[in-house]
Amino acid sequence: MSDSREPILVIKDLVKHFPLTSGIVFRRTVGQVQAVDGVSLELYPGETMGLVGESGCGKSTVSKLMMGLTKPTSGQIIFEGKDVAGMGRRELRRYRRQVQIVFQDPYASLNPRMTVGNIVAEAWEIHPDVVPKKERSRRVRELLDLVGLNPDYVNRYPHQFSGGQRQRIGVARALALRPSVLVCDEPVSALDVSVQAQVMNLLEDLQDELGLSYLFIAHDLSVVRHLSDRVAVMYLGRIVESGSHADVYDRPAHPYTQALLSAVPVHEPALRGAKERIVLTGDVPSPANPPSGCRFRTRCWKAQQICVDEDPALTDRGQGHPSACHFAESVEIVHVD
Amino acid sequence: MSETLTTPQFAGSVGVPVLEVDDLHVEFRTTYGTVSAVNGITYSVNKGETLAILGESGSGKSVSVQAVMGILDTPPGFITSGSIRFHGEDILKMSSHKQRILRGPGIAMVFQDALSSLNPVFSVGHQIGEMHRAHQGASRREAKAKAIELMERVGIPAARERVNDYPHQFSGGMRQRVMIAMALALDPEILIADEPTTALDVTVQAQIMELLSDLQADTGMGLILITHDLGVVNEVADRVAVMYAGKIVESGTIDEVFTSPTHPYTAGLMSSVPQAESKGTRLNPITGQPPNLAAIPAGCSFHPRCPHARVGSAAAPGRDCAVEVPDLREVRPGRKSGCHYSEELYGE
Repeated sequence: MSDSREPILVIKDLVKHFPLTSGIVFRRTVGQVQAVDGVSLELYPGETMGLVGESGCGKSTVSKLMMGLTKPTSGQIIFEGKDVAGMGRRELRRYRRQVQIVFQDPYASLNPRMTVGNIVAEAWEIHPDVVPKKERSRRVRELLDLVGLNPDYVNRYPHQFSGGQRQRIGVARALALRPSVLVCDEPVSALDVSVQAQVMNLLEDLQDELGLSYLFIAHDLSVVRHLSDRVAVMYLGRIVESGSHADVYDRPAHPYTQALLSAVPVHEPALRGAKERIVLTGDVPSPANPPSGCRFRTRCWKAQQICVDEDPALTDRGQGHPSACHFAESVEIVHVD
Repeated sequence: MSETLTTPQFAGSVGVPVLEVDDLHVEFRTTYGTVSAVNGITYSVNKGETLAILGESGSGKSVSVQAVMGILDTPPGFITSGSIRFHGEDILKMSSHKQRILRGPGIAMVFQDALSSLNPVFSVGHQIGEMHRAHQGASRREAKAKAIELMERVGIPAARERVNDYPHQFSGGMRQRVMIAMALALDPEILIADEPTTALDVTVQAQIMELLSDLQADTGMGLILITHDLGVVNEVADRVAVMYAGKIVESGTIDEVFTSPTHPYTAGLMSSVPQAESKGTRLNPITGQPPNLAAIPAGCSFHPRCPHARVGSAAAPGRDCAVEVPDLREVRPGRKSGCHYSEELYGE
């Protein structure tokens, strides 16, 4: 959490462009989907970094890049001071062990033909040194217990579980290799409110118990607010604002963050209509053809000529935390829910 | 533009329910057994009012309105008892021809997933105009003109140019607007919106909810909003009915239900939602899972998850949560609770 410590994971100017091709025999690139376009993040030991954004903003691509599931177009991922791209086989193996992921869809991310015990233990086939063979069945039971499942369920199949229980299996699998970083890619968005709260509590307990660092990716602002120490807001492949929990939620400087926060429905009847709502016009532009200059300008009420000509950098503009807007201005948000 | 689309029709006087659903039961008969999706729900909707039906997945909220709309898959779904009255007349006893006439000008529906609800091989203009062609015998030209007008009304920019576009050429928010335009085509008295914003991003959700509220203010239609999102309910609804395991467990005005719930399930839902300044504090969710509708627990269907359940010797006579099914009863005027111990737990 504190800046005095060394970050465990650093992302520097990460870029991922997917080529758009046309033709079948004579394949040619006709454009680029700029899914992630210069994202920098730091993750400190034991903290939760929230990454929020709407669909299509590139937040899931960031998680895939971190997991090494796709290769970045440019930029660096630095784990414990070492660039992942420059790692040898053995070091990369270690990296993959240390950084684990929990996926969004608990129905699609578990193999329906494997028992829960095998799903959780599968990673030890590749990393046999983590748990000795004799210990494994005991360890699986421990892990199931840790995530709040009955250890007697080891021989059951995923379809015998509810959504919330499946997500717990996904968490147990991610923890099997004793990672230090957990990338949670929308881990609760497929769950009902009551079950969602159970899984959020579980993630918090595990963090306290195991000292994990989370990169928590979600589109739900209230979920991110509940779990995160620091928050970064993404829009169309870029981070538009980042800072501590209070910076982003109580004093947002970027118009997009302000609009996003104002769009969240409030839960208190007494405060209905008390909050000033900014309803953005239009939709998110296509990442294959993002606007020039500031990417948010097409939906922004503050946009002027400079926003068309000049791309605003993500720096501190006098609000105490970085934001990427030429007209950044802190707005005090009094939370009403 | 015809008068019917722009002039609000106040058929009954304000305060008289347009739609009344009474003790509705729906079950699905499958090879694996009978699933009771809706177990006796009663509600009514007045002109110009918004009723939210709040519930988690599998609570029967969508099935209950599918029955009202007459689009229940039969078989396996069957309405086993109850009545659905539109201006006092039971829809279930109407001829299918009469039911069909009612759909559109009487009751219309907006679905959750606009992409799969729209036909991909017809232009949106064709699909919106179809309503006028089928119900009013409009010509192609008239139908198209009306489609353009409706598209403008729901805020689709450049409607004249886009009327011949296909659903895939629209974004998620715009597709949902197309769905709303279709539903509004015949100026319905009741609009059912089944999770209209669940598939949308929060900024687009705000646009769509604002559109629905504006349209409702214009036309005076009654709105039934099906959702699992407590925030959305609070923002737009007048009254709310909370559903659990095919039953309404609590109903009342938003202010009352949200500030002082009278059922442990509603109270549990409220405390499951992350609030401001809650970093570091634990949420206090309902334990366990929603029940399997093929095997609903005896007694109060919520009792296995309920922190206040009184079973056996702890229960008051006739109010054993594991044995006696609680009725949805009025605990104070306009306020109903389906908990045996509502008064003890939540005061008057």
